[in-house]
Amino acid sequence: MTRPRILVVDDEPQIHRFLAPALEAAGYEPLRAETAEAGLREIARRAPDAVILDLGLPDLDGKTALAKARAFYPGPILILSARDRESEKIDALDLGADDYVEKPFGVGELLARLRAALRRNSHAEPAPGPVRAGDLYIDVGLRDVRRAGAIVRLSPKEFDLLARLVGTGGRVATHRQLLTAVWGPAHEHDIAYLRVFIGQLRQKLEADPARPRHIVTEPGVGYRFLAEG
Amino acid sequence: MARAVPFSLRNLGGYPAALALVAAAALAGLAGEPWVAGGNVTMLFLLAVLVAALGFGLGPALLAALTAAVTYNFYFLEPRHTFEIGHAADLITFTVFFAAAVIAGGLAGRARDAANVTARRARTVAALLDASRALSAAASIEDAAQALADQVRAAGAGAAIVLVPENGVLRIAGGPPGFERLGAAADAAARAAWAGGTGDDPDWRFRPLEGLHGRVGLIGLRPAAGGTDAEGPLAALLSQGAVAMERAGLASAAAENQALRQADALRSALLNSVSHDFRTPLSTVLGASTTLIDYEAELKPDVRRDLLQSIAEEARRLNRYVRDLLDMARLEGGALKPRRVETDLEAVIDSALARLGEQLGARRVVRDVAPGLTAASLDPTLLEQALLNLVENAAAYSPAQSVVRIGARRTPEAIALTVEDEGPGIAVEDLGRVFDRFHRLRRPSDRGSGLGLGLSIAKGFVEAMGGRIAAESPVAEGRGTRIVVTLPDSPP
Repeated sequence: MTRPRILVVDDEPQIHRFLAPALEAAGYEPLRAETAEAGLREIARRAPDAVILDLGLPDLDGKTALAKARAFYPGPILILSARDRESEKIDALDLGADDYVEKPFGVGELLARLRAALRRNSHAEPAPGPVRAGDLYIDVGLRDVRRAGAIVRLSPKEFDLLARLVGTGGRVATHRQLLTAVWGPAHEHDIAYLRVFIGQLRQKLEADPARPRHIVTEPGVGYRFLAEG
Repeated sequence: MARAVPFSLRNLGGYPAALALVAAAALAGLAGEPWVAGGNVTMLFLLAVLVAALGFGLGPALLAALTAAVTYNFYFLEPRHTFEIGHAADLITFTVFFAAAVIAGGLAGRARDAANVTARRARTVAALLDASRALSAAASIEDAAQALADQVRAAGAGAAIVLVPENGVLRIAGGPPGFERLGAAADAAARAAWAGGTGDDPDWRFRPLEGLHGRVGLIGLRPAAGGTDAEGPLAALLSQGAVAMERAGLASAAAENQALRQADALRSALLNSVSHDFRTPLSTVLGASTTLIDYEAELKPDVRRDLLQSIAEEARRLNRYVRDLLDMARLEGGALKPRRVETDLEAVIDSALARLGEQLGARRVVRDVAPGLTAASLDPTLLEQALLNLVENAAAYSPAQSVVRIGARRTPEAIALTVEDEGPGIAVEDLGRVFDRFHRLRRPSDRGSGLGLGLSIAKGFVEAMGGRIAAESPVAEGRGTRIVVTLPDSPP
């Protein structure tokens, strides 16, 4: 069995210094690039299974680098960013990044995100099969949603929103992505709609709607559906 | 008082002059009598009266008219050498003398009054111009208040004190030299004036100073005996003073704002630096340690060791950042009180280099220091910190195998300390800016380097000790940077 190749693009040698052994220990083959240009070359040449991309590269603006990579690379891209500016994360996600991890980070978190991204990518389209999350059973294809075996009644918009969230498979979905998908592009800024419907979904699906375990808020960015809460 | 001017000394001199004029007319009349027709002698007296009127005003003119009439009657009218009046027609001559005196004297008086007013106005305008120059030069409320008090005194309006409100009390901001506090009565009067608009006390008359945006203070006037009481010019002076004080107050508020903005800019630069520059070493520490925790069994011993090594390195780097920020904060806060002791330069260099440790890497340090070189009064701790930052900076911007030179020598009145690297150097136009905070000309070649604060910290410490710092580049063959620190070498 060949190990999945993970390309790390970061200009800080210290990051490679621990990420390379960590990836190796977790069963991946780490590849390394220190500039955006080298990173893009490596993506083209080695076709890695996933890319971990730092947004603060010396030679190219992180978003430009991401857009260039996305133009020819369909695999998962995880963003690393030392900057905690939300707009940047959102832009990166809207540009097609799969997820982001903020510096500083523990390798456990990074590798969990990486696994989720790789899993998702292995069946690129939203899984048609049913999803189990705690006492929830969700079959998007049959429009069947149950909680502890009892059927949960959802409005069409609630169902669309839930289907979107479940389809992302643990990855963060930005406000804009959800709004555009469920309400249409004209509503991409109507975050208030989204909050209302997320609240309704939590009321119907979460054991404690005030402390949701499955429909999780990513402050300022969007929402994430977690199967194991 | 202005209307009393005709009784001044100058005008008193007019009376003898009037008498002299009449005497001259009489003598001329007597001397010329054989050739002059009798009636024409009156012309001479009339001339004397007119000259007296135009030259000296109404009073001397009337005196001239009276003496002219008497003299003319006595010497020239029959019966001569008596005061009898022979013809009723002569009364007309006397009347003409008096009429000429009154008309010409009145005209002359009015002209002179007008001239006086014009001259006074010119003096007032000049005084106001002087005052406005003095007031507009004032940089603070104190300066403006003092200038106003001085100008009021210069304008002849007597002594003045200027009071400004401060923390609920009226404080003397300007006044006669040495005048520091008001008596209880005056203080009460001042407070009444501040609240209600007027307040008088035996010594002082208090009036509010109204600026464009409201009351800025209070002026207390103590009119000098016999001083002028020109309300108009004084009022103009006071309102000018009030505006000047207001402007000075606004200017200092603006300066304070500017300082706050700069402090804000520094704070945001610090925050930016903390969020960006601290994250990378923290990422390494957190990433390497969690790798060790999660995959201890899978990692080879040499990899484990390298991860531990990287944690130690990054912790040291963080420590340097924290040190830099604290140094910067100390410099910013002005809390730095340098000691002044005899300082052994060589010992300071030794200890700075010892603290640098591995940061120098493969760079070689060449020292050119006169043995036993001491400076009379420096702070060895600050000097060491400054030097540390300079050598750190030299190492950060120079190639791995290069040489860093540290020199120290005595010049006639100073100690010159130099730190020289073999890096790419600094462009002429950037030489002045390298000491700015967070100013990084390029990415340092050594990633372990600092926050872009090193040179500005060194500058801060050097200046705190009364020294100067400058950058020179290139040093040789178009490369290299030399930082020259000039330290005072005389006892404090």
